[in-house]
Amino acid sequence: MTAASAALDRKQIFGFWGTVVELVRIALRAIWASKMRSFLTVLGIIIGVLAVVAVVSIMQGVFQSFLGQFEALGGDTLFIQPNYRLYKDFEEAVKRLKLTYADAQAVAQDVPQVKEICSILNRQDAISFHGHHDTTQVWGTSDSFASMNSFTPQYGRFLAPMDVAARRKVCVLGHEVLDKLALADDCVGQEIQIGKGTYQIVGVLEKKGGSVFGNQDDAVFIPLSTAILQYGQEAADSLLIQVQIQDPKLMDAAIERISAVLRRQHGLRFGQQDDFRIVTQDEILKQIKQFSSISTLIVGAIVGITLIVGGIGIMNIMLVSVTERTREIGIRMAVGAKRVHILYQFLIESVTLSTLGGVVGLILGWGVAHLTVTILHHTVAETFPPAYVPFWVVLLSMGFAAFTGAVFGVYPAVKASRLDPIDALRYE
Amino acid sequence: MNDADVLIQARDLVKDYPMGDDVYHALRGVDLTVKRGEFIAIMGPSGSGKSTLLHLLGCLDTPTSGEYLLAGTPVHTLTADALAELRNREIGFIFQMFFLLPRSSALENVELPLIYAKIPPADRHQKALEALQFLKLETHAHHKPNQLSGGQRQQIAIARALVNKPSLIMADEPTGNLDSATSEKIMAQLAQLNAMGNTLILVTHEPDIAAYAPRQVRIKDGKIVSDEVTK
Repeated sequence: MTAASAALDRKQIFGFWGTVVELVRIALRAIWASKMRSFLTVLGIIIGVLAVVAVVSIMQGVFQSFLGQFEALGGDTLFIQPNYRLYKDFEEAVKRLKLTYADAQAVAQDVPQVKEICSILNRQDAISFHGHHDTTQVWGTSDSFASMNSFTPQYGRFLAPMDVAARRKVCVLGHEVLDKLALADDCVGQEIQIGKGTYQIVGVLEKKGGSVFGNQDDAVFIPLSTAILQYGQEAADSLLIQVQIQDPKLMDAAIERISAVLRRQHGLRFGQQDDFRIVTQDEILKQIKQFSSISTLIVGAIVGITLIVGGIGIMNIMLVSVTERTREIGIRMAVGAKRVHILYQFLIESVTLSTLGGVVGLILGWGVAHLTVTILHHTVAETFPPAYVPFWVVLLSMGFAAFTGAVFGVYPAVKASRLDPIDALRYE
Repeated sequence: MNDADVLIQARDLVKDYPMGDDVYHALRGVDLTVKRGEFIAIMGPSGSGKSTLLHLLGCLDTPTSGEYLLAGTPVHTLTADALAELRNREIGFIFQMFFLLPRSSALENVELPLIYAKIPPADRHQKALEALQFLKLETHAHHKPNQLSGGQRQQIAIARALVNKPSLIMADEPTGNLDSATSEKIMAQLAQLNAMGNTLILVTHEPDIAAYAPRQVRIKDGKIVSDEVTK
């Protein structure tokens, strides 16, 4: 009795999964029996999945690196910049809008939540050293910039309060600038030309790669006061102000207070729009994530189209396969296969085929992404972030591949299952 | 005659095929009763309706009218899936063209009916191997059909027909593609199966093959014209 019921249980357990395993085995054999044709059949799927995995993982790598940089800032950082959106014309906006060192000082004095603050002036300019010429980003700033953004000098030192106060013509170099000007590592003390001025090197920064301020390895840092002297009033009037507050929890209060101070500074009347913008880490992260999901959506749509094309290929070949194997279907039916068995056999074959295509596409896509990034590393930018394949991309591409196989396998499978056993056996 | 002894009871089987506007009458009212353990040969020229009768008796098709009881099951009322289940459980087929799956080994071919009977793999291998052993073909278990002779292929098909212990074995011109020596061997094995108690229906147009069966049913123009026990 117990032995009999155990046997029955086994039979029931075998029932579903056993049948699926059986059908996958049959499918793999059929796929393997015509390797070349199977490969050509799933080529569409392979290319579709390859493309999406490669593109998404490169993009995700970039986004992850962006996110990492902004997250490194911490939730206690905010930026103040002129509200360029007030004017349709950017040139006009730059002329009309003002954000000055005096504004920064007012914020530092009148906003109690402020822990550290620094004003930043950014220009692109020519640099040269003993016959080597190039261009780079010039950042006019102060000592607090280094601590707020965790910049560490590899040689020498960063800008000191003294440099700003005395408007000294000193500079700190990003690592790539050494290569650009063919400078030795121990170049501290030498003099280089930045724009029209001659500056003494006081420090060289550690290699850091990308940051919120772009590629900081390809940049030189000079005292803000010196920069204002060199680049004039217009540059001094459109600064970027970075503020670190005492506690992320005070963010809302800080923003409110800063707004009030700046509106007073700028003499804005009630009802007039802010001529400055306060950007927090949260906001930037949100924007990056939004951009990331929009681009993912676009890629997804392209993949959808590719997979439909791939799916049609699969349907085509499955129809041929059903016709070629009419005799086999007849034999299976004669020995007791029900319609549903034949239906599942061909459906699982098509799903297995497309999923295999998905796996191949995934592996190739991963390879292509890493190869692309490696090539970019050696040619365009040393700091290009590594490709990143999120698990959801693996799941999604496999899921889509399998889904395509299922959808486009239904019609051939139904056709196979509707065959009459006698006609199928007689088929030559 | 005890009802339990009757395996096949066909009454007034009619099968019509539409041929454009016409109707082709393949079977025009066939009555046939077969007891368990019988061995009968159905004979007739091509076009006589013997293939149609084979399809009906083998549950591959249902009659246009008439009744067919197989082991008490009213076959004429069944759906395609119920017919498949019935074939799987009650009938083993042996065909002229062997009808083995070319990509599968001998063992896997023999296992085929057991897959659809949902027998777990281990039991399946065991039973299929036993069937091959019965036909002394166990050494060829892992050969593909194209590595075997015609006689061996037909023996694989016989093993497949036996493996699920059906109540009826149907052989459709089983020696049609074999030389005479091999034909004798195959027929001797079929006779042996009958001697062990299996019910056998043999369809053939060759009198010397039909002679292996103790009872011969002749069919012509869709009707049974003679039904005699010769041994």
